Amino acid sequence: MNAMEIIPFPRKRLDKADLDLAATLQALVEKEIMDKRLELKEDYEQLLAPSFARIMSEIGLQKMFWPEEHGGEGHNGPDAAYTVVAALEQIGRADTGLAFLAAHSLALQAALAQEGARREETCAAFASLFCSGDRPVRVSFILPALTEEEGAPEWRGKGFQVVAAPSGNAWKVSGRMVRPTCCGLDADLFGAWCAVADGDPAFILVPGDTPGIARGTELKKTGLAASRNADLERLEATVPDANCAWRGNEGTFRLLSWYYLGVAATASGALLANYEIIREWGDNRVIKGKDHIFKDNPLTAAVMGEVAKDTSVVRLLAYELAGMLSEAGEYGGDGSQALYTMALMLAHQACASAEHAINRTMELMASAGYAKEWQLERYWRDVKAMQCHLGAYELAKHDFARWFYDTVTL
Amino acid sequence: MRSIDDFTRPLEYISPMDGLLGSIFREWVEKEVIPYRRQFDEDYREHHLIHPPFKKLLGEYGLQRMIFPEDLGGWGMGRSNYMCVAAFRMFEEIARADSGMALAFGALFWPFLFIALEPHENRRLLEEFAPMFCETTEPVFAALCMTEPQGGSDIENVEIVKGTTIQTTAVKDGDEWVINGHKLWPSNTGGLAKLMAVVCTTNPGSDDPRDIAVIFVKDDMPGVTQGPPYEKAGMAADMNSDIWFENVRVPLWYRAIGPGDDAKYFGEVMATGNMGIIAWISGAMMNIYERLSEYTSRKRYRGKPLKEDDGVAGLLADFAANIENIRIVGYQCARMCDRHDLYGPLWHPRLVAKMRAQRYLAMDRFIDVTGRVMNLMEAYGTDRDWDVEKHWRDLKILQLVEGSKQLCQIEVARWFYECETL
Ligand SMILES: Cc1cc2nc3c(=O)[nH]c(=O)nc-3n(C[C@H](O)[C@H](O)[C@H](O)COP(=O)(O)OP(=O)(O)OC[C@H]3O[C@@H](n4cnc5c(N)ncnc54)[C@H](O)[C@@H]3O)c2cc1C
Repeated sequence: MNAMEIIPFPRKRLDKADLDLAATLQALVEKEIMDKRLELKEDYEQLLAPSFARIMSEIGLQKMFWPEEHGGEGHNGPDAAYTVVAALEQIGRADTGLAFLAAHSLALQAALAQEGARREETCAAFASLFCSGDRPVRVSFILPALTEEEGAPEWRGKGFQVVAAPSGNAWKVSGRMVRPTCCGLDADLFGAWCAVADGDPAFILVPGDTPGIARGTELKKTGLAASRNADLERLEATVPDANCAWRGNEGTFRLLSWYYLGVAATASGALLANYEIIREWGDNRVIKGKDHIFKDNPLTAAVMGEVAKDTSVVRLLAYELAGMLSEAGEYGGDGSQALYTMALMLAHQACASAEHAINRTMELMASAGYAKEWQLERYWRDVKAMQCHLGAYELAKHDFARWFYDTVTL
Repeated sequence: MRSIDDFTRPLEYISPMDGLLGSIFREWVEKEVIPYRRQFDEDYREHHLIHPPFKKLLGEYGLQRMIFPEDLGGWGMGRSNYMCVAAFRMFEEIARADSGMALAFGALFWPFLFIALEPHENRRLLEEFAPMFCETTEPVFAALCMTEPQGGSDIENVEIVKGTTIQTTAVKDGDEWVINGHKLWPSNTGGLAKLMAVVCTTNPGSDDPRDIAVIFVKDDMPGVTQGPPYEKAGMAADMNSDIWFENVRVPLWYRAIGPGDDAKYFGEVMATGNMGIIAWISGAMMNIYERLSEYTSRKRYRGKPLKEDDGVAGLLADFAANIENIRIVGYQCARMCDRHDLYGPLWHPRLVAKMRAQRYLAMDRFIDVTGRVMNLMEAYGTDRDWDVEKHWRDLKILQLVEGSKQLCQIEVARWFYECETL
């Protein structure tokens, strides 16, 4: 039985189209990424960028949510959340960074085009970028962060990196040394959550080719090679009114809930890959002299058992979160703080469990786990990097407390 | 302003040379290593940037001589009962900048532990090899070749596996050994090592420890081939590769000590190696502390420096508390390795088990608390420029070399609970 089969997931909640999409993606990533990565390693130009293009534009993930009348697939009903998980875990199984990038695109699509919460004007303005032509669109978010600036306007304790001001039929968006969540070097579209001086914050879409964006050099970082990140050293852009997708927390809570769903699904994919690697190791490695198969040693088997447990739990969690988003009314409502908090919690849990399980798998594979050749360590680096992009867990715990305990000054 | 020097060191027993060594190493890392270390990952194959600081430290300052006796041009550290405490300080200082360099530096001396320590000093071999290391200002690397394709742990697990899995053979032929085999991973290989101590069997499959032989081989001997350096998750400054021995002929007296003793004194490499790992963890954590202090002072949360948030302070305290603890325990381990009169012989499974216990615990704590710190730093935790991620990547391997975590657990349980079959 392969990993996809043995690690539990709620198959019955997926429809045939989801299972077909997962199978297509599985075949694609195995051929285009997993079979080539021994030779191409994490080569962006030769391996990761072409794979991203195929996944997003050829398979069509970047068209998924957009309404049919705008050229999209119109798959934006309650069950779309399951499709997101089924797709991203397949991609994440091959490359965490690619799935992380795809998660950004899917979250933005969901926030703009989800049934019942569609932003008509913004959909009309942006759907064609995603639906026409065969260019993959790289989406990046600019979210509040720990800034160095004293007195910066805050959102939930963190500083807005960007401020926006209306100016006639346009918005002026500005920031300095802005750190996007991913692909800052080559993002085609930034979604910036901006402070606005006289009112609710605004979520504004800034195309990557807008004049006034000065991108820094590519950052060297722990992992996520598919996401070539860079700071925006200067952001002084003016964009049309329609680029303001929403104002106020509801839209952002919705966006982030879907983003966290994507992160959880990606973590699940990384764990599936990890499981496959350690399974093969456990079948073949011999320890304690002769004839002592690794998986039959009680100490190492216990660690392997724990890894399987974490993998199963994270997979189920990711699908459970999909269930919560598809039945949002049961969990506080679409775009609610309640759902946002649950999604943030589950994404943190998924990343923490993935980090833990892969870390322990490396223990079991010793030098092989540490060598690039064995392909394990890349998941370890990638999952850790993804977890860091979720934001500080120490501070996320405040978010949990705010919701669950009605804190007053926290 | 608080600094890394505010973390406790046991002043009762630090080495008399501690102040001098500390300042030499501190200055060396500040000038020669820290400014360049962010480029080391890409330099793993060539060591263009990594070689110059090694040249200064090993060749010009002469640290590669330190274990050799003074009359052979060395510093006599092999005979000092401050060897490990002094090494702890050096290791910490290097690892603060780069634990890959610290591992490469420490591993250079592993082969010599077999021949330079009392009561098994091998004078003839020391005389043979001292000039290579003591009469040059070029850096000279040595390697201990133990791990094989079928596994390193079983070879390290001398007590239970008793060398039965070793595939590298040493066959007597007249007054020579003929060595054949394939080793993986020795630190300082990939073309660097000029001298190797090779763990062989003189009788394949035998469970008699007397058949485990540690034999010295020079790189330029016919039949020795070092492969290209491996690409790893981190630790670029430690070069590792495959190494093949094909009918390599060395004199019989190149065997480290002799039947039974080669296996027995292997324990000394394990004890000091595990102690060294604690020093590398401690050193790396010092640097993370420095970077974390800066980060949490500069970054703001809720209108205050991040470090002023009570919740964040909880994690900052955990990090500092772990350094305090790991450092004091590490120094104590070093002292235990030095004072055979008080703690028994260095090779003894009791001491090895104790070193392993402290090392795997320290490592687990490092992984936990550093992972949390990276996460606190959000996207910047993954930035090469903030250095924390480098230490996180580099140090992971220290859980796996010199006895993997599970092997450590087994040996600790075996010793403390008198298990017989583990
Ligand atoms: C950076 C680096 C530097 C190194 N330097 C050197 C060096 O200088 N010289 C050298 O010879 N080698 C060196 N090594 C190799 C290192 O010593 C081995 O990785 C280590 O011995 C483990 O061996 P292995 O990787 O073959 O894993 P294996 O021996 O196959 O072990 C894999 C896993 O099996 C489990 N295991 C093994 N035995 C037992 C047991 N008895 N009970 C329970 N579980 C067990 C553990 O989980 C272990 O992690 C280095 C490796 C690295 C990455």
